[in-house]
Amino acid sequence: MDDRLKETLSAMMDDEADELSVRRLLSHARQDEVCSQWQRWQQVRDLMHQGNLADDRVDVSARVREALDGGSRKTDSPVAAQRGGRDRNWHWPAVAMVTLALVVGFGAGAGWESADSSPEVANAGIPAESSEGQDVSSSGEPVQEVALQGLDDEQWEQVSRYLLEHAQHNSVGAGRGSVGYARLVSASGPAY
Amino acid sequence: MVAHYGNPGTPSMTVETERHKEENNESQTDLQLVRKVRHGDRSAFDLLVVKYQSRVASIISRYVYDSQEVMDLTQETFVKAYRAIERFRGDSAFYTWLYRIAVNTAKNFLESRGRRPQGSADAVEAENFDDGSRLRDNASPEKLLQRDQLQEALRVAIANLPEELRSAFLLREYDGLSYDDIAGILECPIGTVRSRIFRARDAVDRHLGPLLNDSRTS
Repeated sequence: MDDRLKETLSAMMDDEADELSVRRLLSHARQDEVCSQWQRWQQVRDLMHQGNLADDRVDVSARVREALDGGSRKTDSPVAAQRGGRDRNWHWPAVAMVTLALVVGFGAGAGWESADSSPEVANAGIPAESSEGQDVSSSGEPVQEVALQGLDDEQWEQVSRYLLEHAQHNSVGAGRGSVGYARLVSASGPAY
Repeated sequence: MVAHYGNPGTPSMTVETERHKEENNESQTDLQLVRKVRHGDRSAFDLLVVKYQSRVASIISRYVYDSQEVMDLTQETFVKAYRAIERFRGDSAFYTWLYRIAVNTAKNFLESRGRRPQGSADAVEAENFDDGSRLRDNASPEKLLQRDQLQEALRVAIANLPEELRSAFLLREYDGLSYDDIAGILECPIGTVRSRIFRARDAVDRHLGPLLNDSRTS
């Protein structure tokens, strides 16, 4: 324990130590030295003020430490103990909320991605032109069905490239369905 | 400027009472330590235990006369204090709060043994509590001799201090002045006061060290 720390401890005896110094002192590796020095100075003070040492048999610090160590393996601080209880109370609601948020997020994302073709959302305010069972493009025109049989090499290459790009886009934009949706709306909205 | 004092080993009762009052009211260090304890710093609590264990034992010894029971209840008081420290709001001094826990612990103990608590203690009493009541069998001839030796050693240690260290140290210990006030009186920076008091304390500790260790092991 160097003199600077001892000086802080001395200032603590007199209620004159600042918060930062106290923190530094308490983080000193050899707390047994700190405690021992503190105890001796307290004894000197007792001797000065009462003409006697406090009863030297009264040293319960080790016993208190043991008792608390025994009881604190579960919780390190009294506040943590109370917080622990509160945290446990919040545990399941928090998990439920996160789960709900994920479900809503992914669900909405997926819904919005598929809602790209939903006239109620993509073209809010514009009457749907589609009927049941008929795919509709963002412009409202029916999508032409493409038969994958009988494609030539160039067409296969285009389809493959498209599928690859589509997969990459999905992997990069996973969970950000709403962004794609917003982009789609802004690009296809009636005001544009 | 030099302050002159009488025998440092025998301060007047007035000084002692003022010092006690000051200790109870000024609890900046206690509050700092309590804050640390609340954040899980056990070493901060160790310092509080070391600081107050004798006084707590002394309170309890007014209710319970068996020295082993006093030790057990002192320990229990601190364990209870640690576990309840979040409920300490700082409205009163930490020591006053601890005092109440000690008194209640002692009373509960007596009631659990079917004994009626004889003493009474309240917060006002806690503020002015004189630590004079020791465990009953403390004043053995050996202890009296040891006390005399310690007082003489303390007197010599203080007398041997350089003047500037002694002045700062005694102004702090016996007059209870703040570092700022001492700096004003001694016309030096506050950092110098802090350093002088530390060096004085260190010198006295080195002088008394062996005796203090002997008293702990005897």
